[in-house]
Amino acid sequence: MVAVIASDHAARGSTLTLREVSHRFDLEGQPLPVLDRINLQVGRGEFVALLGPSGCGKSTLLRLVAGLDTPTAGSLVTDGREIEAPDPSRVVVFQDPTLYPWRTVWSNVALGLEARGLLRTHRGRIEDALRLVGLTGFANAYPHQLSGGMAQRAALARALVNDPKLLILDEPLGQLDSLTRIAMQAELVSLWQRSSFTALLVTHDVEEALLLAGRVIVLSHRPARIKAEVVNSQPYPRHRGDPHFVELRREVFEQLGLDEAW
Amino acid sequence: MVAALTAFWPDKPENDWTYTGGFAIACGALAVAIAVAAFAGVRFAAFQRLKRLFPWLFALALFLAAWEVVTAKLGLLPLPFFPPPQAIVEVVIDDWGRLVEGIFASARLLATGYLIGATVGFVTGVAIGWSRLVGYWIHPILRFVGPLPATAWLPLAFFVFPSSFSASIFLIALATGFPVTVLTWSGVAGVKSAYYDIARTLGATQRFLVLKVAIPAAMPHVFVGLFMGLGNSFAVLVVAEMLGVKAGLGWYLQWAQGWAAYANMYAALLLMAFLCSGLITLLFRLRDRLLSWQKGLVRW
Repeated sequence: MVAVIASDHAARGSTLTLREVSHRFDLEGQPLPVLDRINLQVGRGEFVALLGPSGCGKSTLLRLVAGLDTPTAGSLVTDGREIEAPDPSRVVVFQDPTLYPWRTVWSNVALGLEARGLLRTHRGRIEDALRLVGLTGFANAYPHQLSGGMAQRAALARALVNDPKLLILDEPLGQLDSLTRIAMQAELVSLWQRSSFTALLVTHDVEEALLLAGRVIVLSHRPARIKAEVVNSQPYPRHRGDPHFVELRREVFEQLGLDEAW
Repeated sequence: MVAALTAFWPDKPENDWTYTGGFAIACGALAVAIAVAAFAGVRFAAFQRLKRLFPWLFALALFLAAWEVVTAKLGLLPLPFFPPPQAIVEVVIDDWGRLVEGIFASARLLATGYLIGATVGFVTGVAIGWSRLVGYWIHPILRFVGPLPATAWLPLAFFVFPSSFSASIFLIALATGFPVTVLTWSGVAGVKSAYYDIARTLGATQRFLVLKVAIPAAMPHVFVGLFMGLGNSFAVLVVAEMLGVKAGLGWYLQWAQGWAAYANMYAALLLMAFLCSGLITLLFRLRDRLLSWQKGLVRW
């Protein structure tokens, strides 16, 4: 899989630029602003985390990046092109794995290839993606037979099989137990390092953001504005107990207005 | 249990022997066959599964015996209306030509009407569930016309359509189509929007969303509709055959009653029961094949 991706794409990962992006919902006739003039620049192959209190509009921002919704104002550009509709080069892994219950793990992973008519030519990639997430033996299992962690791995494989240039992660580990979570965090980093797509992670877990991302964008309460940016240039794998890590974590908590409680 | 059954079973033929030879012999043969199977069951695993049926077979034998006793033997029930079992066997043997003809006529009518109704209902349901425009136009019609029992159309259908056969097909299709449409529609409308989001981010076209996301996700609902439609279609079939079509089991039923041939009536009823339950079983098999992924998700 890694080799396939590497040879397919010399220039891996896409760039992403958000210019003055604002968005609001209509709630029973009342406009509800969720995003307030977000400006963000993400470089090729970067791992950026969006951190904010729950309900602040992080997931809305990701839906805009994915092209599932269009912003009320502002523009989103990837690789020089405006984002108008979903595109398989930008794949989302949602908080809920949402595997199709009527398909086996194998054909769930095959979904993207099937949708684009590539199943016949790129069949082998499914096996590769399953191996990458450690689900080789479960190709013929149905989703309800998987544990939460395995289902999320399958969802990850379903995303990776499309060889994304931008992987959008919407709290993908949010529903996992803490042990599985720690293991999956390490796996995500190594997947990102090997495949070097650009990654955009939404989370409300400070440690997770700092463990995985090179840059943590701290968002305010709704309507979300960018409050601060914390750069973590530590090499991987990072350790939660490392003094510099602890210092960064304190800094982020401070930005979130939780310094006293901490 | 097996031993007890074998001990009891051979008793019955003796009971019948004095009344109708053929019936008794058949019963005896069946009993012996089952007894042999019961003995064999001790040794062969293949017969072990039959064991589950033994209490039922036993009860059935008791019922037949009781029937035999109250009709042929003691004459407790008035005769033309309640013939003994051997009279029904006699009808099946003597009048099999007409009965088989009836089965084929009924099956042909039912199959045509049901398939048309199910197909049209399914397509309409998907269209309403998927397209707002189609929903806008079809939904009120469905609301207004759908709840009307299909049999209410009977008088109209019989003079609008060129033949009673095509009229009956229309009625059966109508009776099948309504539940299939409504349930397919509610199935498609109830698909989680997250399923569509996933497929859309993976590059799915509208066609893919309908065929590979909406329809498979709606299938459990569709099957509920198909079952309800099948039930409805039986009712309409019999009514149509009794009132218009000059063939089929429903017509035979009516005809037999007209001649006070009650044994023929029971025979037709029995065959109809076999036909209907056979078709339901068939549909269950189809569901089990298509929806096997639901095993473990719902009580199967």
